Amino acid sequence: MKIETAAGMLLAALAVAVLSLPAMAKPYELTVDYVEIDTGDTKTTGIGYNGSSPGPTLRFREGEEAEITVTNNLDETTSIHWHGQILPYQMDGVPGISFPGIAPGETFTYRFPVRQNGTYWFHSHSGFQEPDGAYGSIIIEPEKREPFRFDREYVVVLKDKHPHSGARIMRNLKMMPDYYNRQQRTLGTLMDDVAKDGLSATLSDRKDWGNMRMTPTDIEDVQGFTGLINGMSPEQNWTGLFKPDERVRLRFINASAMTYFDVRIPGLEMTVVQADGNNVQPVTVDEFRIAVAETYDVIVQPKEDRAYAIMAESMGRSGYAFASLAPREGMRAEMPEPRTDGPLLTMADMGMSHDNMPGMDHGAMDMTSQPEMAGMDHSNMPGMDHSAMNMGAKPADPFYASGSGLIPKAVNGGKFLSYADLKAQKPRYPERPAMREIELRLTGNMERYVWSINGIKYEDADPIRLQYGERVRFTFINETMMAHPMHLHGMWSMLDNGNGKWNPVKHTINVNPGTTVSFETEVDEPGEWAFHCHLSYHMASGMFRKVIVEGGPETALNTNANGN
Amino acid sequence: MKKLNLISAPVGIALGLMAFPAIAMEGNIFYGLQLEQFEYRYGDEGEKSAVWDGDAFAGTDELKLRWQSNGEQDLREDSFETLENRLVLQTPISDFFDAKAGVRLDTPTGQDRWYGTVGIAGLAPQWFEVDADLFVSETGDGSARLDIEFEGLLTNHLILTPSLETDIAFSDDREIGIGQGVSKVELGLRLSYDLIDRAVSPYIGVAHERKLGKTADFARDEDEDRDATYVVIGMRLMY
Amino acid sequence: MPSFKSYLAKILTVAALSGGTVLVSPITAHADAGHNSVVHGANIGKLGNISDVRKTVEIVMQDNFYEPEKVVVLGGETVRFVIRNEGEFVHEFNIGTVAMHATHQKEMAMMVEHGALEADKINMHMMEMDMGNGMTMKHDDPNSVLLEPGKTAEIIWTFPENAELEFACNVPGHYESGMMGQVKFQ
Repeated sequence: MKIETAAGMLLAALAVAVLSLPAMAKPYELTVDYVEIDTGDTKTTGIGYNGSSPGPTLRFREGEEAEITVTNNLDETTSIHWHGQILPYQMDGVPGISFPGIAPGETFTYRFPVRQNGTYWFHSHSGFQEPDGAYGSIIIEPEKREPFRFDREYVVVLKDKHPHSGARIMRNLKMMPDYYNRQQRTLGTLMDDVAKDGLSATLSDRKDWGNMRMTPTDIEDVQGFTGLINGMSPEQNWTGLFKPDERVRLRFINASAMTYFDVRIPGLEMTVVQADGNNVQPVTVDEFRIAVAETYDVIVQPKEDRAYAIMAESMGRSGYAFASLAPREGMRAEMPEPRTDGPLLTMADMGMSHDNMPGMDHGAMDMTSQPEMAGMDHSNMPGMDHSAMNMGAKPADPFYASGSGLIPKAVNGGKFLSYADLKAQKPRYPERPAMREIELRLTGNMERYVWSINGIKYEDADPIRLQYGERVRFTFINETMMAHPMHLHGMWSMLDNGNGKWNPVKHTINVNPGTTVSFETEVDEPGEWAFHCHLSYHMASGMFRKVIVEGGPETALNTNANGN
Repeated sequence: MKKLNLISAPVGIALGLMAFPAIAMEGNIFYGLQLEQFEYRYGDEGEKSAVWDGDAFAGTDELKLRWQSNGEQDLREDSFETLENRLVLQTPISDFFDAKAGVRLDTPTGQDRWYGTVGIAGLAPQWFEVDADLFVSETGDGSARLDIEFEGLLTNHLILTPSLETDIAFSDDREIGIGQGVSKVELGLRLSYDLIDRAVSPYIGVAHERKLGKTADFARDEDEDRDATYVVIGMRLMY
Repeated sequence: MPSFKSYLAKILTVAALSGGTVLVSPITAHADAGHNSVVHGANIGKLGNISDVRKTVEIVMQDNFYEPEKVVVLGGETVRFVIRNEGEFVHEFNIGTVAMHATHQKEMAMMVEHGALEADKINMHMMEMDMGNGMTMKHDDPNSVLLEPGKTAEIIWTFPENAELEFACNVPGHYESGMMGQVKFQ
């Protein structure tokens, strides 16, 4: 059955190849292999492509027909998902939704038209192969000139490489959700807080958290990783060369399983020109936070004849990745001292904020604990109301709960990128109102390590049904205390950040704790798609939905593929 | 030898369940093994014993099969003061608590007992880990047990764990030396250090056991100790 | 450095002749226009006379780059620049040194922050607002023009004998992402 389907697709793909006019890209061949991953500290067996992890950078040109032949040398089923690519759903690479997967020893040929440009990535969508090393990058050159200029470019892929296998991590989290959390509050922090805030305030704070049975340190579930840049640990020092005054394009990809990174290059401003493969109106920042599965392209212009540090500290400060930009080989930038001021969640992140600042106060709803959000005030959506916030010097980032402990600050006191800064360079679709709204509550139980949407795990949930041709507004209400990078396959996500026609076009939308975030989708790709939190262990434990697009030009959905 | 078989039976069942994931719904099957206590006790009257208290589970988020085992072996007399094995099915009933039901078999040196058991296990406010169980033995005697534990983080690796275990009997079971009322209390304080992530955590501590009420009287009649204080050294293991 | 008022004067001119060609001539330029503009000690040249024009250079503004990205001039030459914004965003054409551009960028970032400048339009009424923060500029800016999409303007410029000059768009992010070109002296 599997073989027949694969063969059928292969034949169909060949037929398309013969008949189609678009130029064929250079065909790629990828093998999926067990590989050794050496971070300097640890040597582990992982999974890679063509013998290495990360896999190669695949280059295409917009308008071409991509052909990638994937041979599975593992003894388990594998798959490759082309993250952010708009393609026929059978080529999307999600076992159980797009196709049956690639069985051990089998070869599958992916073939799809390349209809976009920018920085993307690919990864396995099977088991925990992606955390185990099965990822690589994609660069698609545009048909037309890009709205920016650079003299050279590098892919900068971030990864939270853990000494434990993904399956082991998942099992440990299920057994003990704080298994990997070594940033918990202790007797020492209790004493510090008593000294700082007084005994009664400290005890009252401990009591509040204790009553909820939650901890303000639940920011990074999986600590103990080594941050990698292009597969290299801080010690191994990946180095990108430049000549002073050159404009260097850095294509940042966060291929991590669980970790958000705060990225900076001390001494250089970074001009963000692309987010999730789509050009944005350039915005110059000192630091930015990259959620899991996002990409940001920045342009830097190092002018001095010295090495510059690329420093990527994890959001919870439990780890970091480091690399150098240098004028010559063999140079190592001076690594800035990693920040030790690990953030703590606040009641605002629990959705318990009671002040009246605009932002995303769901406290009232949590009190009434109504399952439906009938009373939700959409005027509190991020980016919708800045007027009340301009009272202070700088408006707080509206994409964090007011008073959130996660609000980032640039080390040098400068500009930290906000979602609110992202404006599409060229809107992909004409502006039109959404025809309906789908509210998705992001839910979970940290103690059980169960993650869900609307309180229902994937295996118990009905698919989300969309109609071809409609424009749908999705509204996430994050009722958990963790940030979730939500990724809709197959169709673009237009983040509503209050910029109207310039709302940025993304494939992964980060939703911070205690916030409500909306995006809109033009439902223009038929088929069946995955829609999930991109944190590997949240996805695997249920924060996942199947989306079915009904109608459209290719209505003949393969009914055999429906059962999952 | 007989005892070994009794212990291995539940393991076999647990492994069997793991080997056939198809049995369990769509969800993933997880398993785990934890020895909360695995220690050598040296008592104030020269007692020497080996004690373990652990459990293994396999199952989904919705339903788990759990094997709980604890015992105390007197190393001087090579006898088992206590030896309990429980096999329970466990399912969530609230955000923080599970209900469990199953059977318990006590096979210490001396008289064996079968029990039916129901209970709850979970996390109470302020981070108290609570196990509360009811038992009805084959002789029709009812009893209850409350087990409370708190992990105090001195640092992120050095953990001080006070614990309290209380047995309450609803009727006399003279044959096994239990008298109606609060029959036994055990207090513990253990200081552990996570040596290899959370898998291996050696500890030292103190434990105090005391038989109470009629149970204490029965013990006196049998010329057994009614209370004992121990220094303990052991290792918490998790896999 | 130009004041907001000088920007305003130029913008008003551009707006008044909306759709048409703006000639940045001595009529709209300021008193010192006939002298060399010296900024940070750099001689960047001066506003030229139409009679001295020997060469016309067409500059097309795109999002976010110029065509062409290099202009070759002779020392002391007077060049007529015809600048057309074919993009969808506001762009600037500004002749100056790297240091001058860096200073302009900060100022334009402030204009954006205060809502005077949006991606695709210039808000006249916001420009008129008194910034009231003691921003005094010591010279005006005959060396630059700020254009909304679809607009065209001209600058006649007499270059010095030699200088390290760039033409640049100092709208926030544009210069940094490469909207600049080199003035090469032959």
